[in-house]
Order: sequence, then structure tokens, then C-alpha cells
Amino acid sequence: MAVSVAAEWSAIANRYYRKQEIYRMAWHNVELSGHKVACARFGGMIAIIRDDTKIVRLRSEPARPKLLIFRSSGLLVASITWDRPGGRLIAMGWSDEEILHCVMQDGSVFRYDVHGKLLPDKVWFGQECWDQGIMECIIWGNGIVCLTEANAVFCIPDLGSPQFVKLTQLTLEDPPHCMAIIEPQHTVSGSVEVLLAVESTVMVVDGGSIQDQGTTIGPLGKMVASPNGSYVACFTHDGRLLVVTSDFSKTISEFDTQSALPPEQLIWCGMDSVLLYSDDSVLMVGPYGDWTKYTYDEPVVLIPECDGVRILSNTFMEFLQRVPDTTVSIFSIGSTSPGAMLYDAYDHFAKRNAKADESIRMVGSSIPDAVEACIDAAGQEFRMELQDTLMRAAVYGRTFCRRFSKTRIRETCKTLRILNGVRDPNVGIPLTLQQLKVLTLPVLIERLVNEHKHLLAIRMSEYMGLSPETVVVHWAGAMITAATSVPDPELCNLLLEKLKMYSVSYAAIAAHAYRNGRRTLAALLLEHEPRSSEQVPLLTSMGEEEKALGKAIKSGDTDLVYFTLFHLWQKKSPSEFTRAVQDKPLARNLFIAYARQNEPDVLKKFFASIGQLHRVGELLLWEAWAQSKNPVTRQGSPLQGPRIRLIEEAQRLFSHSKEHDFEAKACDEQARLLKIQHELEAKTGKAIFVDTSVSDTIRTCIVLKNHREAQRIRVEFKVVPDKRFYWLKILALAYIKDWDALEKFSKERRPPVGFKPFVEACLQEGQTSEALKYIQKLSDPEEKAEAYAQAGMAKEAAEVAAQAKDSEILGRLKLTFGQSTTAAALFDSIRDRLSLQGG
Amino acid sequence: MAQLPPLENAPINLIGLRKEAQLDLVEALDSMRGRKLLVLDPKLSGPLTLIVQISLLKEHGVENLSHLSGDPIQSDCTNVIYIVRPHLTLMKLIAAQIQHDKRNQQERQYSLYFMPRRSTACEKVLEAEGVHGGITFGEYRMFPIPFDDDVLSLEHELVLKELQVDGDPTSLWDLALTINNLQSRFGLIPNVKGKGDAAKKVFSIMKKMQEEQALTTPEGQPEIDTLILLDRQVDLVTPMCSQLTYEGLVDEFLNINNGCVELDPAILGGDKKVKVPLNSSDKLYRDLRDLNFGVVGGILREKAASMKQDYTDVKTTNQEFSDLKKFVKKMHALPEMTRHIDISQYLTTFTRKRSFMSRLIMEQTLVEGQEYDICYEYIEEMINKQEPLISVLRLLVILSVTNNGLQKKHFDYFRFVELLQSYGWENLFFINDLERAGLLRKQESKSNWLTLKRGLRLVVSDTDDSNPKDISYAFSGYAPLSIRLVQHALHASGWRGIEDMMKLLPGATFEERQVKNRVKFKREKEKKSSVDGRRALVLVVFIGGVTFAEISALRFLSAQESMKHDVIVLTTKLCNGTSFLQSLQTNPLGG
Repeated sequence: MAVSVAAEWSAIANRYYRKQEIYRMAWHNVELSGHKVACARFGGMIAIIRDDTKIVRLRSEPARPKLLIFRSSGLLVASITWDRPGGRLIAMGWSDEEILHCVMQDGSVFRYDVHGKLLPDKVWFGQECWDQGIMECIIWGNGIVCLTEANAVFCIPDLGSPQFVKLTQLTLEDPPHCMAIIEPQHTVSGSVEVLLAVESTVMVVDGGSIQDQGTTIGPLGKMVASPNGSYVACFTHDGRLLVVTSDFSKTISEFDTQSALPPEQLIWCGMDSVLLYSDDSVLMVGPYGDWTKYTYDEPVVLIPECDGVRILSNTFMEFLQRVPDTTVSIFSIGSTSPGAMLYDAYDHFAKRNAKADESIRMVGSSIPDAVEACIDAAGQEFRMELQDTLMRAAVYGRTFCRRFSKTRIRETCKTLRILNGVRDPNVGIPLTLQQLKVLTLPVLIERLVNEHKHLLAIRMSEYMGLSPETVVVHWAGAMITAATSVPDPELCNLLLEKLKMYSVSYAAIAAHAYRNGRRTLAALLLEHEPRSSEQVPLLTSMGEEEKALGKAIKSGDTDLVYFTLFHLWQKKSPSEFTRAVQDKPLARNLFIAYARQNEPDVLKKFFASIGQLHRVGELLLWEAWAQSKNPVTRQGSPLQGPRIRLIEEAQRLFSHSKEHDFEAKACDEQARLLKIQHELEAKTGKAIFVDTSVSDTIRTCIVLKNHREAQRIRVEFKVVPDKRFYWLKILALAYIKDWDALEKFSKERRPPVGFKPFVEACLQEGQTSEALKYIQKLSDPEEKAEAYAQAGMAKEAAEVAAQAKDSEILGRLKLTFGQSTTAAALFDSIRDRLSLQGG
Repeated sequence: MAQLPPLENAPINLIGLRKEAQLDLVEALDSMRGRKLLVLDPKLSGPLTLIVQISLLKEHGVENLSHLSGDPIQSDCTNVIYIVRPHLTLMKLIAAQIQHDKRNQQERQYSLYFMPRRSTACEKVLEAEGVHGGITFGEYRMFPIPFDDDVLSLEHELVLKELQVDGDPTSLWDLALTINNLQSRFGLIPNVKGKGDAAKKVFSIMKKMQEEQALTTPEGQPEIDTLILLDRQVDLVTPMCSQLTYEGLVDEFLNINNGCVELDPAILGGDKKVKVPLNSSDKLYRDLRDLNFGVVGGILREKAASMKQDYTDVKTTNQEFSDLKKFVKKMHALPEMTRHIDISQYLTTFTRKRSFMSRLIMEQTLVEGQEYDICYEYIEEMINKQEPLISVLRLLVILSVTNNGLQKKHFDYFRFVELLQSYGWENLFFINDLERAGLLRKQESKSNWLTLKRGLRLVVSDTDDSNPKDISYAFSGYAPLSIRLVQHALHASGWRGIEDMMKLLPGATFEERQVKNRVKFKREKEKKSSVDGRRALVLVVFIGGVTFAEISALRFLSAQESMKHDVIVLTTKLCNGTSFLQSLQTNPLGG
């Protein structure tokens, strides 16, 4: 530990900057000069490849260039011999997903994951670009912009679905001097803005439009937009560094570098200073023209981060940042801020010096602020011993606070543990607290997982209370990909041993296994998936439809059953489908329910193929019935021919088995009935017969006074029982008020239904006098009394009841006549008489 | 527009449940910007009126509301939202409407919300019709619709047909999901009892769902103590019997739909039909609904008389203001009183009829199970008189179920000669479906109805209707089997006490306990002791429908002194014998 923390700082105007070494690079014999270097943001991977535009002296290495991928700490992750076609490698850069994009001269883009595996999907900039050739290219987190030799600008705006678009075609004599972009998240239009320095002005390509900014600050040798996209740093041909607003309307600051050559690298450090790198020195220029210079004896690469710049050289990785305010307040020389005092007090306390007390007294009431400052400063530190001291100072100070949130300290400790964990050279992600906040923890975990740091990722997930599911699923996927030679059951057990500890989606893992051609493993894993809704679709897509059907049926979720049924139906031949469905009642029933509405012909074939001819018959009958309800078919074929044919065909099918005698007979009868009804309609000229029942038809005949036909139908359908025929005729005659015919009918022979129906029919039509004729013929006194009562003849009713000596009837009759008091009195008197006699 | 039932006195927070259903509906409506046409499944619009008021729909851009039908959309709205049940037949109607718009180059946005959830089969139909691509799909979750403080219904009328005739158990899955949703609201129900195969199936789906996705239940004591699942198949007799409670009779003769009854001008006077909501917000109705209709007249007379007495008192004697106030308050109940007097008077015109009396006697004879021949005769005469088919079938079904089927000669005779010849051959499908649903069968073995009748005391004679002692008051002598089972389930010995009887009834029997896996045993114990003070709440679920008289009988049960339970009913549909049978009647053109 240095004597004073602040001793390492350099001041520019009123701010301090500090440059700390993070790693001493673990690599050997890596020479950055003469190489293209791409470093992922947020402390990600480093990719290095020999720059074939430069002359390099080969040491003991093969002539073919190698693409090397390192962690930020210099640990080699992958080394691949570069053998890609497509001409010169124009640019190389990492996307937010940590995928390395290599843009070739002919417009093809090769993509590698962090393990140096070439991703299979083809990405390119199209034929036009291929013809023209790419001159310059910029890659940002989620897209690529390129400029062709013919001055056309192409763009892939979303690397998630890499489709290229042509932004514009410039007609220029000379190619643009330089190009810069403003990332889409900072532009008004929401699409990337491309800045092109042309002659002395700057053209802005935004979406499809192109605009000349009309400025004369150029010609510009180099441009770069600030991290928030609102300023642009420009290096002019006469050696001045200008910072202008991104619409080039206003110059914010100007600095004369006294060098006509544009710098090799021009980069923003945070929001308020700009770094220029050329000739082994890094010049840092602050907002008011103040500057400082760092010299190096080896080549460096500047890597912009959201809160500073990482500087990579052959031997170390450094981080250059503006010193955070709290750190300044604690460590700046002679500071008397509460934080500084507390830190001082703790320092004394740790040394068992009584001055501690004095210092803490000086902090006084601002002790919470002091604690907060120490916590904050601890979070900003890379050095663990300093984090430790600051946190101890904070905890020490907290004992003097009345109330201070414990969680604040706990959370910072947790976050620091995370940060220190990933900063470890073996992991090599040198994040700052600020960067972690921007990146977010889930994304960090995703990165770790992609880099196959599963154990660390899962520990972090659990430590921070995140669901370990994504990590576990990825781990299992990686295992499956890697363990190509392990037999399926063995690998399955291996996986299960770990998977059992977490509740994870087995289906997702099985899907991965299936994609990797390990079908059996996928099936084994799926057995453990509890969610049928996950299990069934995957089984279906694996071609295991029948198994899927079994699982779907077991789940009780009919929608899943339908889902698999439709798959089966589409993929299999009708006979295979039938076989699969036949012995599964639920599947069969659902298929029938669906097909009945939508595929009646398919259903007929289905029934026929499983030997259920009577169900085919039912369908035919159904069709015949539907025809009768459908006004079009009903009117269109007055002969009822098609219907009768359907019904007869149905009858034939029913008669195949004895069980369906009943249906066969019904069909036969219906076919005959329809024919008769049709004849009747033709004869009478009235369309009132078709689709009525046998009984209705007879009644209609009687109402039409066609007794002969009624009799004929009765004979034809000889099953019509006597009693029913009597009822029908009585009611029909009463309905047409043919009282003479009714009387004649009653005298034909003793009616099998008795005379009661005659009475009821007359009364229903309000003919009391007619009814009386039949009431007298009633033999049962109870019926007679009731009939009199219904006819409203209370006295007669009462007398009959009295004769029958039935007091129960009397009671009921009294209720019927409840409204009339005279009748009630009458009943009471008769009942009294009865009870006297009875008693 | 009918008012929503108040639900203030519900034993669980049904207002919250309804609120959530409203919010979900609003969310569905808001998924489409601007003014829109709402096209509703005709069967959903009634239940939805019990959840939201039209004004709320208007607030969310619904300009027009129409029912899904075979006609094209008549509106210039460019946004159309369909809310439908996932029924295949409805998909064809929707497809036809969209195709019609296409032909007429009418550009519209379509959203289709399935209640309760998306269905692959339905989407397949839309795909086949070539309209799937132009529709945005969504789900409107199933909520049990609160009809009253203690009645919830899914208003799914086709459960019986789908389940027993088509063999499609989708409705059971939906019901299981509904109950699980209730549990995640009101806590894991510790005691579960069930009878019947459908009940068993629902419970097993519930458990499977919980396995697949852990149920998040609220902390603390569960609000519902016991869940009783009853498959309608266990008791097909009760819904066929004529309901004799006031509410039951109103339903039998006037049809209660979505908590309302539509009254003819002939009943109430006036010149147009009036829709009257029937729920416990009407205090008089709350007192009357569960009583045997025989005593309703007397009570109304008494109330009228006391009002008259009050009136004379007010007129003749000097009274304090407070007394006057009481009197005026009573007078507020006057319109309700008149209404119920009118309704009961109208009902007596039916109940006084000899045919009604003789029908009741016939039902009684059937459940007594002693004499079948006169019943056959009676039914035959009904057919001869061409009385409505459903009315004939109600008796025939009781006959078949209590007798374990009709004797073969009767079966063929009725089926063929009588029903088809009298009512038309197309009833062949209806009768076949009744057979598949177990309502009308050929006798294959001896009936055990008499044993059940004795063992479960299903016929309780000499009931005093005005002061009943047993649930049999609801059917004047017949104690509804379903409710008797509930009564035994809540008994200390549970169904184990009547094990022999349970074995005679169709389907599985189960009694289980559900335990929240993470709750520590100790806490469980503590809870137990605190339960004693309050009345435990029982959720009785009827799979396949329940009648009003049965609900009345349940209320009667929970009002008994010995009973330590409050009861809340969840059913797939509120029905009566007629609507129950009608749900099996099919139309060849779908539906």
C-alpha cells in the first residue's frame, strides 16, 4: 500500500484521475503491435489476430495467422488457425452477447463464441457489398456499419436477427476521411447514425436519409462520439482536437495537439475527457483544455468503458478513471470531510491509538454521511485490502450512529464479493461497481455461464438470491454438448445427480439434447419433466407423437391431447393414425368431437376402418337430419330423395349387427314415413306433413278430415297402439270442434281409454255441455267428481263425492273452489254429514 | 340493466373475486385501442352481466355489443373483440364473419379472447378456414360467477353432454383450475371429500396441477375448511324431481336465468315484461326462497296482516316519531311484498292443477320405489296426450335411475313405439345420448334403490312444511340424495359411517387431507385449536349442475343448530330438470 492513496492521482484542472494496474497479463510472447485487437466491453474477452496489412517479423510461429482469444487477465481461452475466406479481415469486434464478429472484405461476417467456435449461421452484407468490397467498418454492441470502396453505407442494425440494409450511396470523388457512429440508443430516430467526414464537412446518415451538417471544421482525420452520444470528439487535419455537439452546431472545446498526424486511437474517458494515443504516449485532454500525458514503452490498446478506459499493453491491463467523489473526499490530501475524519479515526482505532476518540468527536453529527462515504468508497476500490479497511471504517463509524441501515453495509459487502470474485485472474472480468450496475447481475451471470464458469455462476446466483435455473440448464446443455462419447443412460444419471438439487425445466435440457442428436438422452430426461405442457410439445417435435399422446392423455389436459392429435394426423398415414388413436378412448373421443364438426368424411372413413359401421350410420342420419333443418336443402329437393337415400343407407349399415336392430327399424320406419308424408303433401297441396312424427301425421289427417289416410297410416305403422290412436283422434276432433263425429266415435265401441279423454278434450275446448255427455258415462266416482269440479259444477261434484263417501276428494275439491265461499260452505256441510255418518 | 348482486355478506371475499374478473375483462378490452365492437358468445353475455355493468364496457371503448351469430358484422367499427367459449361451432361463425368482411374489403382488426383458455382445436378450425393469421388471440380466465353470497357457478351448461356423451373431460380440467385458483386466493383447503368418477378426476387434476406448478397460497389459516366434490352422476334422481321450494318453483315455472326472472305483464300488471333480480339483496326473498311453497302463502298473508295492523295503529293511536319511522321503513318493503304476492299467486295457478298434483304423487311413488306399473301407465298416458317430451322424460328418467334401468320390454316399447312415433324420429339421437349419459337404460341387474332409500332415509314422511326437521321438506317428502351425502360428509364419522351405502352409489369415494408442504407441523397444531371458535366453511362443488331446491336444502342444513358449518356452493351450472335434459338435446346444425 502506497503511503498515500492520493499520491497516484494526477490532476487535470479541478479533477483527479487515477490509473491503476488491474492485471499483469498472464500471456507470454504476445505482441500487440502489428495485430488487430478486439476487446469486449465490461471487462470481457480479448481477441487478437495478426494484422495482415502490416509487416510483422515472424518469430517461431507458423505463417498462417492464428485467432487467439484471452480473458482480460491474459489467460488463453481459445486458439484457432485463421482460415476464413473472404479476403482481408477488415474489422473485428464483440457484441453485447460476447460473440466475436469478424467482418471480411467481401462483406461476409464470421461469428465466433468465446470458446472460438465458429457459429454456423451465415451472415453477410449482400451481393452489392460483395461486389464493391468493404473499406471500413464499425462494430458496436448490437450492430455493424460498413462503408464500401464505392462509398455505399450498409448496416446490420440488429445482430440478434442479422439482416443487412443499405443505408445510402454517396457520390463522392474522394472517399470519406473517417467514419464514426452514434449508437441507436442515443439517437432521436432510434436507428444508428453514421457520421462521415467528407471534405471539410460531416455527412450524417440516419435511417434512410442523409444530411450535410454544413460545418467547415474539417477535414477531419478522426472522430468519435461520447458514451452518451451527445458530443463528438474530432481531430482536424491541422492538429486540433475539437469537442462539438453531435449535431455539429456548437464547438464545446478546442485543444491544439501540435501534431498534424491523426492519433492511432481517439477515445473518450467517461464523459468529460478525451484520450489520444499515438507514438507510445497517451494524451488525456480535459474539458477546459487541461491535459496530462502518460508515456509507454510498448504499444497499448485503449478500451472504452462506461466510467473510464482500460489500457491494455503487452504486459499489463490498467484502468484509467476519474477518481470518484467520495474517494476524493476521503483520500485527498488534507481533506477534512466527515469520511476522511472517520477513516482517520478508524486508522487510529486500528492502531489502538486514543486519538481515535478525538477524530470521531470531530465528525460529530455527520457520522452517517461519513459511514456512507466509506461504504461508497469501498465499492469503488479494486484493491481488496483498501476495500477491507474502508468497510471496517464504515462498520466502526456505524456503532456511533443511532440508526443506520444494516442492509446498506450488507449489500455492499455482497456486491464486493461478487466483484472480487469475477476480478480474479482466473475469471478475468475486471468490472467496477458502476459497470456492474449498468451491466446488471443477471447479464453478468449469463456471461459467466457462456464462459463456462458454471460453478461460480451458480454460487453467485444463490448468494444473490437469483433463480439458478438458467445456470443449471446451461450447464446441462454444455455437458451434453461436451460429453459426446458418454453413453446416454450414464450421462443422464450424471446430469440427474445435479439436476435433482434444483427445480429446473427438464424439457429445455431435453430439447438441447435432441438438437444435439441425442434423442435417447432427450427421451430419458423428459421422463423427469413434471410439467406435461413442456413435455408433450417436445416429444411431439421429436417425432415421438405416440408417446406424447400417452403423456397428454395422462395429464388430463385435453388441449395437449388435441395438440398431439393434430400432429399425428398431419404426419401419419390414415391407417397409422387410426391405430394410434383407436385404443385410447380420450384421444378417440376428442378426435370424433372435432371431426364430427369439421371433417365428417374423414370421420366416416375412420369409423369404417375400425369396424364401427353403426357410427357411420349415425353420421348419415345426422346429415339427413341436418338437411331437414337447413332451409336451402329442404326447399331444394321437395322429393326428399337425397334424405331418404341417406336414411336407407344408414339402415343398411345398422342392420350389419344385431345390437342395432332398434336403429335399423327406426330408419326403416322413418324412410317409409317420409315417403307417405311426401305423398300426402302432394295430395293435399299443404307442406305440413314432412318432419312431423307418426302421431302428428295421424292427427293432421284427422284434422283435415281425411280419416281414411289416418287409418292407413295407423295400419302402415301397425305398432300405433289402440289407446294412443283414440287419444289422438279425440283430441283432433275436439280441436276442430266436430262434436258429432266425436260422439259417433265414442259410440263406435267401448273406448279402450274410457270416457275420461272425451271429457278432458271437451273441457279443454270449453264445451261443458258436450263434456257433460261423457261425464255421465264415467264409472269411477272419484273421476266423475273431479270432472264435475273441472266443469265448474260444484254441487254435482259434491254429490258424487258424497255418494263415494270420500272425504279426501272433498277436501281437494274445496281447495279447487277455494275462491267461491258458497261452494266452500257446501263442501263443509257435506263433509260434516259424511263424518257424522262415518263416525 | 340488472344490478350486480351485492355479495356483502359472503363468507369469503367474493367482491374481490368479482373485481378481479372485472379487471381482467377491462384488460382484454384495453388490449385494443380506440372504439370497438364487442362480440359475445350468446351464452356468455348473461353471466357477464353478473360481473360487469354495461357502463364499464362503454368506459373502455365498447361502442357496440352484439351476439355472435351467423349474420355478418353490422358495424363500421374497425376493431372487433370476440369473447367466446372455446367451442368448435362458434369458430365457424367467427370465420364466416371475417370472411364476409374480407369479401367486402372491410378492413378490421380482430381480437379473439377465449374463456377460459385458448384451444388448439378451435384455432385449428380457424386455420382451416384461412382466418387464423389475421386474429390476435388472448385468454379471459375462468372465474366462477358469484350469483349470491353463497352461490358460485361456472355457467357451463354442457358439462354432462361433453363428459358423458362425447367423452370430453375438458370441463373437469377447467373446474380443477377454478378450484385451484380459489385455493390460491383463500388458502389450501385442508379436507377434501368426493364422490363419483368426475369428482375423483377433478381432484386428481387439481393435485397434478399443484405438482406441476406449486400453488401459492396466502399465509395464515385457510378460509375454507372442507371441499366436497359431488359428481352429478351419483344423484340423477334429485334434479328430475319437481322442486317445491319457493325459488325452485319460480325456476320450474318461470325460469330463473342469470339470477333474474322475466315476468309477464299478466303477472305483475303493467304493459311490458319486467326483469326482476332474485338474490339475497331482496330481504323478503331471502326469507322466502328456501321455504316450501306450501307455507309461503301463509307467511305473506301474515306479513300483509301485520302491515295492515301497523297501518291502523298509525292511523288511530298517537305514536312516537320513532314508531312512525319504523312503520315507514316497513313500507319500503311494500313493492317487494306486492311482487312476491303476485308471483306466488301466479304459481298457485299451476300448483292447484290436478295434473301438477298427480305428477307429484307419481314422483313420490317413483322415489318410494314400490310400485312401477301405475307409473308406466301414467307416463304412457302423458305420451298419448302429447305432453312435452322433456316433461315425459323427467319421469321416465326417475323411473330408469331408481329401477336401475327399464325392463327390456318397457325399454324398447318406450324408446321406439312411444317416443319416436309420438315425438319424431330425430329424437333417436336424444334418446341415445340419454342412454350414454346413464339417464335412460335397459335394466341389467336389480336395483339397489330400496336399500339406499332405507339406509340414507331418502323418504321422510309426515313432514311439517312450516317447521321442517329434515331436508326432505324441499321436495315434500323426498330427501335429496345429493344433500343427504353432504349431510353425512359433515357428520363426525364422515362417509365412513355409511360405507355400505357409498359402495352402492356409482363412482369412486375418497376422503383426503391436503397439507401445505412447507408448513411446520407445530404451527398446524396451533391452528387446530384456534379453529374451534368459528364456524368452518364448506365448499360444496356440484359437477354437472345443481338445482335451487338442493341449494335451499343445503342452507337449511347449515342453519340447523347441530351444524357447525357454513356452506358455499360452486356448480358448473344452475339448472332444473328441464334445462338439465335440454342440455343433452342436440341440433344437427351445431350447438
